[in-house]
Amino acid sequence: MDTLEPTAPAATAEAVIEVRDLCIGFGGRPVLRGFDLTVRRGENMMVLGRSGSGKSVLIKCLVGLLRPDSGSIRILGQDVLALDQEALDRLRVRIGFLFQSSALYDSMTVRENLEFPLRRHALARKPAERDARVREALANVGLEHSADLYPAELSGGMRRRIGLARTLVLAPEIVLYDEPTSGLDPITAREIVELILGLQRKYRTSSVIISHDLHVARLAANRIAVLIDGRNHAEGTYDELRAMSDPQIQRFFTSL
Amino acid sequence: MAAGTWNDARTMLAEIGGLSRFTGRFFREAFRPRFEWGELLQRSYVNGYLSFPLVGITAFIMGIVLTVQSRPTLARFGAEAMLPSMVAISVVREIAPVITALICAGKIGSSMGAELGSMRVTEQIDAMEVSGTNPFRYLAVTRIWSTVLMVPLLVVMADAIAIWACFIGVNMQRSVSWALFQQQVLDAVVFSDVVPALIKSVFFGLAIGVVGCYKGFHTEKGTAGVGQAAHSAVVTASLLVFIIDLVAVQVTGILGFN
Ligand SMILES: Nc1ncnc2c1ncn2[C@@H]1O[C@H](COP(=O)(O)OP(=O)(O)O)[C@@H](O)[C@H]1O
Ligand SMILES: [Mg+2]
Repeated sequence: MDTLEPTAPAATAEAVIEVRDLCIGFGGRPVLRGFDLTVRRGENMMVLGRSGSGKSVLIKCLVGLLRPDSGSIRILGQDVLALDQEALDRLRVRIGFLFQSSALYDSMTVRENLEFPLRRHALARKPAERDARVREALANVGLEHSADLYPAELSGGMRRRIGLARTLVLAPEIVLYDEPTSGLDPITAREIVELILGLQRKYRTSSVIISHDLHVARLAANRIAVLIDGRNHAEGTYDELRAMSDPQIQRFFTSL
Repeated sequence: MAAGTWNDARTMLAEIGGLSRFTGRFFREAFRPRFEWGELLQRSYVNGYLSFPLVGITAFIMGIVLTVQSRPTLARFGAEAMLPSMVAISVVREIAPVITALICAGKIGSSMGAELGSMRVTEQIDAMEVSGTNPFRYLAVTRIWSTVLMVPLLVVMADAIAIWACFIGVNMQRSVSWALFQQQVLDAVVFSDVVPALIKSVFFGLAIGVVGCYKGFHTEKGTAGVGQAAHSAVVTASLLVFIIDLVAVQVTGILGFN
């Protein structure tokens, strides 16, 4: 598994996410101040930033959980900020979101957690079909035997895997990962990164990975955007960023 | 001091505004198609059926206590025979609706506030939203409908149990046949006692559901906020029950039902 690398997108791939001049603040305090980002089809884009720099705010804007003060967001050719509720819900089905806290429904078993989005969107109408998709999703994350457990009975790493399985069960074209490895031990974190890469290869998803962790950046990202002071401060591959002399970027590397 | 009062007043106004908007949103969404029947059934079971024992026991005790305590007063006027009619009217008009609503405000209000509040702070509501399921429709509309339907139903059952308890209370001192008792109750309680009480109960149910969901959906500040949401759901819902009761007595008075 060690040789797994992110598959590079074709140079001509179209943009699936285009963020322009995004601004948002809370109570008069700006968090994003003109952030730009382009993600092409098949690409793993990572947004690197310190804790509290507004990374979660950024991806919450992408799926319409937060409304920016100004700027534009185009995803899969649609202007997210102009969509009505139903069109937004249809677009959301095509976007997966892995929460930092995994956000499993704790009143439901693992199986019910995975079936919930399938039932809601009538994607797999027959019970047998639904069962097959749940089984496949669990097999993807290596947790076939946990279907009847409740989230409270799972470890942190298992929760993250189930969260990943639930995110992928709708076969999204784009997946947004909020700190996929935070709070996990290094070995589990590594396993999660490998899972993400494996699934990206298998389902050809594009993704945005939010993290402060350079190990994740090195392993999983085609390109890295550095979020500093609410702006896309610099962008490039891991090696390109490491070669930059900018002290604010070097700080991330010296802390390794 | 003055600043504190001013801030309290502002918070209260913001709260009233928020609750009104939430209620408005409920009415906009409440009759739209693609209704969540399964979730409504589940919530009605939890909020209605599981509240029944507590409501039933309280109604039974209220029925007996009211009967036993009213007897000496009525006896002083030689009006002991009025006991069943008097108790039945107070139960149907006021005691059963208000006691049931207060129990529900405590039991249902706190559990909805805590359940939805913890779903909010652990991002489960956000997760539902980004997976393309509208959490307001799935979680709030079904819960509010369940209290709107279940609270009046619980009130009717509380009526029946309290009146039955009154029969037992009457028979503690004198032997009165069920037939005679029933006749007295049915003669006393009229249409204009029952219908306004039921309409009032629907509003109690609406208030309890709206407040519980509103508090849960607007929970902040992690785990401590969940306790806060449950607590303030109970306080606000109970207060609203009394306010609605007060408004209802004025309205029925104006319409000539009192
Ligand atoms: N809903 C919100 N209301 C107010 N402030 C918020 C909200 N969400 C985030 N913030 C603030 O925005 C800043 C960035 O938060 P966040 O995006 O969560 O950081 P991170 O980069 O660690 O994910 C923080 O200072 C946080 O306090
Ligand atoms: Mg974050």
